[in-house]
Amino acid sequence: MKLLEMRALPEGGFPSRSGEPFRCDATAWAMLPLLFFNPHHSLLGSAGTRLAEAQAGDGSVSIALDHTDAYWPTAISVLAWSRSPVHASHRHRGVQFLLETTGRHFKKEPDSPVQHDSSIPGWSWIADTHSWVEPTALAVCALRNSGFAQHQRVSDGVRLLLDRQLPNGGWNYGNTKVFGVELHPAPESTGAALQAVAGLVPYQEIKKSVDYLRAEVDRARTPIGLGWGLLGLGAWGEAPQGSSDLIHQALGRQERYGPYDTSSLALLLLPLVAPGGILEVHNERPPM
Amino acid sequence: MAHSQTMIGHGDGGWTRREFLYALAGGIVLASGISAGRWYFRPRLQSEAFVAKASDYGGNLSGLMVEGFRELGVAPEEIRGKRILLKPNLVETSMGAPHINTHPLVLRGAIEAFLRLGAATVMVAEGPGHRRDTLAVYEESGLADVLTEDRIRFHDLNYITGYTVQNIGRQSSLRTLTFPALFKEVDWIVSVAKMKTHHWTGATLSMKNLFGVMPGIYYGWPKNVLHHAGIENSILDINATLKPHFAIVDGIVGMEGDGPIMGDPKKVGVVVMGRNLAAVDATCCRIMGIDPHKVSYLERADNWLGPIAEGSIEQRGEAIAAVRTNFNLIDTIPAQQGIRLV
Repeated sequence: MKLLEMRALPEGGFPSRSGEPFRCDATAWAMLPLLFFNPHHSLLGSAGTRLAEAQAGDGSVSIALDHTDAYWPTAISVLAWSRSPVHASHRHRGVQFLLETTGRHFKKEPDSPVQHDSSIPGWSWIADTHSWVEPTALAVCALRNSGFAQHQRVSDGVRLLLDRQLPNGGWNYGNTKVFGVELHPAPESTGAALQAVAGLVPYQEIKKSVDYLRAEVDRARTPIGLGWGLLGLGAWGEAPQGSSDLIHQALGRQERYGPYDTSSLALLLLPLVAPGGILEVHNERPPM
Repeated sequence: MAHSQTMIGHGDGGWTRREFLYALAGGIVLASGISAGRWYFRPRLQSEAFVAKASDYGGNLSGLMVEGFRELGVAPEEIRGKRILLKPNLVETSMGAPHINTHPLVLRGAIEAFLRLGAATVMVAEGPGHRRDTLAVYEESGLADVLTEDRIRFHDLNYITGYTVQNIGRQSSLRTLTFPALFKEVDWIVSVAKMKTHHWTGATLSMKNLFGVMPGIYYGWPKNVLHHAGIENSILDINATLKPHFAIVDGIVGMEGDGPIMGDPKKVGVVVMGRNLAAVDATCCRIMGIDPHKVSYLERADNWLGPIAEGSIEQRGEAIAAVRTNFNLIDTIPAQQGIRLV
């Protein structure tokens, strides 16, 4: 955790990269592994407060004050505040925003070249755009972690994620087939989706995706894909032996790529301290 | 003059004083009801495009590009001391499908060519629209090996804090556009695209390649803000506002059919270069056997962002007829219907 701790800003919160100013996404992501490592970590209070200062009146946390439509950091912020009584009201407002917000959804035209069901309300990256896999997965995780696992919005989110699962396994950003051709999966999207639906769907429904991700994680060496991949597999009790070795190898590749940005670094470290995934209460293996 | 202003009138379609004076001086009439960036009856724009044969990626691509610079009048004095940013097309990777992305050796050739002309620095930057894990695409495409060996910095544009400017193109409803702050630290932005068909736009070349400069943190993954604003509108707005300086298109092995990802490799054996991206894209379309006038964003760009008429583009290097290679078009994909160059 020292790698993360070194990046903390004196006034609280974290930048995307050293030497840069505060950023919401970086702060929320950085808080997650610190939270699992030590719920009383000294940096969590000031980081949570700095994040709270960035929260808008409607409960959203956007990437920047002049880009309020980019509300995608809200779900990560709700997760980051999850064990902090001091920030309970901020978490509550973030949850309310997520419950009331959907991506653009619409009835699919009969001759649409896009296969997925565009009518299911999930969550988008940016306001007034379509719903996609990772923001939906994060919102589902945030709501489940906040005690809303039975809420209709969570059901919608899970339904959307299952609809966007590729026929041959895995998820990508959120398209399945276009003009009749199945697209490629990606480990980060697959990991996020698997994490979100863990414990809510039978294993058989996602087995192909687990198989795909297991193979990908063996060769993944970059933080976002490996981090999400291990979280997703861990949520289903399928994390490979030697996960920590994979993480350390990926850390070592900073010699090649330069220092990872804070969000990527945090995502990579998270499986080390949350090997069963980021959902606190859903570590039991779902029925096969 | 005052009497003429009264006759023309004002309002949403009215003229500014500057436009009116220009019209009087040049005898050009500004038609009503068109976007502010588009002038009918203006003199036809002219530009050049350079086409070079390159049978494979193992040849002297930097030498070819230096020759291209010479043919296009890009002198060392123009490049000396400049900070160059190369923007490749890195979408996603798939085993056995290197033709999805700009080949790393084309980037190497461009890097070497700009350095030979005296560029102060050359960097490579991309913001993939589908994969959040940019480093994975960078690594799996083979570009990481090349840039690491060449000690060239790679920037992930998706996560860089941006700066916001007015949308000069005004084709979409987007009032502003947000570009990566890195762009304030460079002198030339070069679109290093891949020659491909596209299932939404017909073709994807140097202009469409610039979708990838828009940071995902503001536009999403995919960059859905741009899709909702209209893909073609957004292509035009980005190019009009950013004003890129140069284009290089990797047509050594392109993609035909269901581009930009799931199509088949298409060997063409060319590199196309030019200062004007519309002209370069029009030339690429003709090489692909596509009529650029039938590619909507190019037709709309014509004589505004650049010339697309063949007579307005001076071809340097190889003639189009000598390298034309009809790309397979799928007749069940609307954007690819009726665009064959006859």
